[in-house]
Amino acid sequence: MSSQRQASSASQVPHLSPAELSYLYTSLSLPKNPIRPDGRSPTQFRPLSAETTILPGTNGSARIGFADGTQAIVGVKAEVEKTVLAADTLDSRSLAQHGDALNREGEEGSAAVSGQGEWVQMSIEIPGFRDDDALPVFLSEMMRESLVGSVAGGDVDGAKEMAGGLKGRLVINKRWHWRLSCFSPNLSHTPSPLLSLTTHLALLSTKLPKLKSTGEEDPFFDDDWAAAEYLYPRSNTSKSSLSAAPSYPVRPPVTLLVIAVGENVIFDPNREEIAVADAVLAISPGIPNSENVNMLGATAGPGEESGGQEEVEGVWRPRRGGVKRSVIARMVKTVLGKGGVGEEVLEGLEGVEVQ
Amino acid sequence: MADRRRINGPPGGTRPPVFASLQESSTGVANRAQRQRQPTELRKIFLKTGLIPTASGSSYLEFEPSASLAAARSNPKSLIPPSSALKLACTVHGPKPLPRSAAFSPNLVLTTHVKYAPFAARKRKGHIRDASERDLGVHLETALRGAIIAERWPKSGLDITLTIIEAEDDRWWGDAPDSHDASWGMMNVLAGCITAASAAIADAHIDCLDLVSGGVAALVSDDSSQSASSAPRLMLDIDPAEHRSILSACVVAYMPARDEITELWLKGDSSRAALDKNDGRTGHEALIDGAVDAARGANTVLAEAVRESIARSFA
Amino acid sequence: MASLPPIAIPGQRLGPLSTYSAGPGTHVQQSFIYASIAGPVVADPAQPKSQTRPTLRVSRVISSKDQASSNPAVPAVMSKPRYNTLPAVDSIVLARVTRVQKRQATVSILVVVDESATQSQDQSRTASDNDNVASILTSAANPENHSSTDELRFQALIRKEDVRAVEKDRVVMDEMFRVGDIVRGSVISLGDQSFYYITTARNDLGVVMARSDAGNMMFPVSWKEMRDPVTGTGEQRKVARPF
Repeated sequence: MSSQRQASSASQVPHLSPAELSYLYTSLSLPKNPIRPDGRSPTQFRPLSAETTILPGTNGSARIGFADGTQAIVGVKAEVEKTVLAADTLDSRSLAQHGDALNREGEEGSAAVSGQGEWVQMSIEIPGFRDDDALPVFLSEMMRESLVGSVAGGDVDGAKEMAGGLKGRLVINKRWHWRLSCFSPNLSHTPSPLLSLTTHLALLSTKLPKLKSTGEEDPFFDDDWAAAEYLYPRSNTSKSSLSAAPSYPVRPPVTLLVIAVGENVIFDPNREEIAVADAVLAISPGIPNSENVNMLGATAGPGEESGGQEEVEGVWRPRRGGVKRSVIARMVKTVLGKGGVGEEVLEGLEGVEVQ
Repeated sequence: MADRRRINGPPGGTRPPVFASLQESSTGVANRAQRQRQPTELRKIFLKTGLIPTASGSSYLEFEPSASLAAARSNPKSLIPPSSALKLACTVHGPKPLPRSAAFSPNLVLTTHVKYAPFAARKRKGHIRDASERDLGVHLETALRGAIIAERWPKSGLDITLTIIEAEDDRWWGDAPDSHDASWGMMNVLAGCITAASAAIADAHIDCLDLVSGGVAALVSDDSSQSASSAPRLMLDIDPAEHRSILSACVVAYMPARDEITELWLKGDSSRAALDKNDGRTGHEALIDGAVDAARGANTVLAEAVRESIARSFA
Repeated sequence: MASLPPIAIPGQRLGPLSTYSAGPGTHVQQSFIYASIAGPVVADPAQPKSQTRPTLRVSRVISSKDQASSNPAVPAVMSKPRYNTLPAVDSIVLARVTRVQKRQATVSILVVVDESATQSQDQSRTASDNDNVASILTSAANPENHSSTDELRFQALIRKEDVRAVEKDRVVMDEMFRVGDIVRGSVISLGDQSFYYITTARNDLGVVMARSDAGNMMFPVSWKEMRDPVTGTGEQRKVARPF
């Protein structure tokens, strides 16, 4: 999405000529079997290498690199912070203590149980952009949204600790919570799915010190790092049987980029492929099989010029218009359907050993 | 980023104190806004173009206040309004030359700015655009870019500025944020921004494929008894203050003449929608269809507003 | 023909491509012509020699023809100035000189003159969307309010070799233009990222309005001289032929 955004607003992708764009579009839109410039199948991802816990100063970190040298590093830092309730919730809280009129949730301070989305911060640096430019902000909001938006299905066993999703996990007690900062010092122009995969791994490897204090005391932690707990708890199934029960009842979401070109739905597009796409969709599948979709779509229109009688200016003209609903439905189905690519990716990520 | 140029108000809310006794007398439950509309009934929209003479195009959009807000205004029980209604203004400047530093562009370069007025929401907004406002700007740009015929305006730029005068709430003010909580109000704001910007662009006589309008649909569960059997229902054009829990919501930017979507933003869990047994659609498809229906409704208002604006200038 | 709506909004279907050809303000999709701006629909009759079908367009402004048909009591002046006609190659523009250098003069384009309106010989309506041309031009000749709005106008260059058709190598830019002059020119190129290129190498192109050193409006006396009516002194300009 990143490159598409840059490109579409100002001009077309700077390093491809109209003829090249047109060629790329035609080969990608070949019915049934598109030809991608790097020879991948439509649902094939680029091969990548991953490692975790590479930054000693962070609570969790990961690096993923593609074969062509593109890589992303994400670090996660957790800090204890005092919970400040927003003024409006404060009102209802104090009211709830005064009388039972507003005692809806049964417990006072329900805000403290569920956590707040603001406790997760995401900052992405992209070379050539200021940190408050629209693109990095959009990217980080998109990732943050899917992070805090993912809620554990309550029925998954072992997910008790993760009630309320990531936000809930960050609650220490009524007055204290963790603040999570994910940062990504970008070394090169990183595509957003790569960033999302890296964040996923970094969060999986994130450890929080073990809490020694109980209840509403000021938090006090075990300084033995070996005793630290994972942010995303994992069940005790043996690591060797990876393909068996998932070792994480709850996992951070992954944002996948899907494009539609002509009749084809193509995964993990590179910059050039995005530039000619009819529609770009970012989808964060939640728990597999439950179709917990959290998606953000950015669509660009098809370059369809029918009628034949209009003047043809050059070989390639910028897309205009939107996409049909059926196209979107097809894209989503390919990702989220049973045995879809989303499931495949999450399974693949299981395979990455996190120490 | 800290704002160092102004003396800012306190970062938290600046509402007057409300005493518990006052609240008790009118029982909190009764105070909660209730949706009076049918699930498929939209709020009325006021849309007018050409209000700002110095801009090449402009529009003003307002949503009808909910019934509870109207009631609270006529017969105030509390100092706090039960809900808010969207009000926003849009200006379009251009086409104008690109800044000297910009590279050559054969297309129209679109710039969108969305800014909440400091008093727009219950929580005061700063003078510098924050992350959510920038995010809205990017969404809006995506929505509009697909509709504008950019190659007719080489070497020129178009600035679209939206000022949110009153924003929708993310939830009822008395509710604590729960696990499904997210900035739902933002999605309503985006839908309003799309419709208003489309009117302003038409007012500025910029070539478009179609009038693109925004619509919101959501899955809400209003049951206070936490029974698992109550499935969430699909509602169009929600006012987040009227619902206890919103499971998922969807905004689309939709061009009715071509039946095409230029922007889609869906978040939350849409798998538990209560659909008919013989309805083959999945939850998210139903959501998108609902949002499209809402956008169609908004489009009738939009088309009428654009006709009015031509009638005014060509009278 | 009869099915044409009087007023179109963007996205409205106007007619099939088999009956009409698409003009300005419309676009084509799946062999139908759709409106792309809001405004009155005009069907220009086919010209026998070039076209076989009438051209359909959506007008941005009221042409004099439309004006006659609608209520004549309503003044044609719209309430606000609009600058949304872009200069294109061969369009005639009125521009104000902002800087004169040895090899070129920089101008900022005030008005793009609408060709279709020029044919109707209605001088009061030659400017397209810039309704109050008179006020733009007179204010422009005032040295005081320069540059404040220049950011919003398209910039253009008149290169030394594009000033006149003859004796190109003898051109001295200082004797052709002064800062503040209003020039009628023809766009020869969209140019680079920041400037259009304009030529005045035709008899009807060149300086149309200028003030003398004393600050008085001058009148043209020859193709290369204008005169101050008060002091009587002449100044050199590349003068456009008056109509």
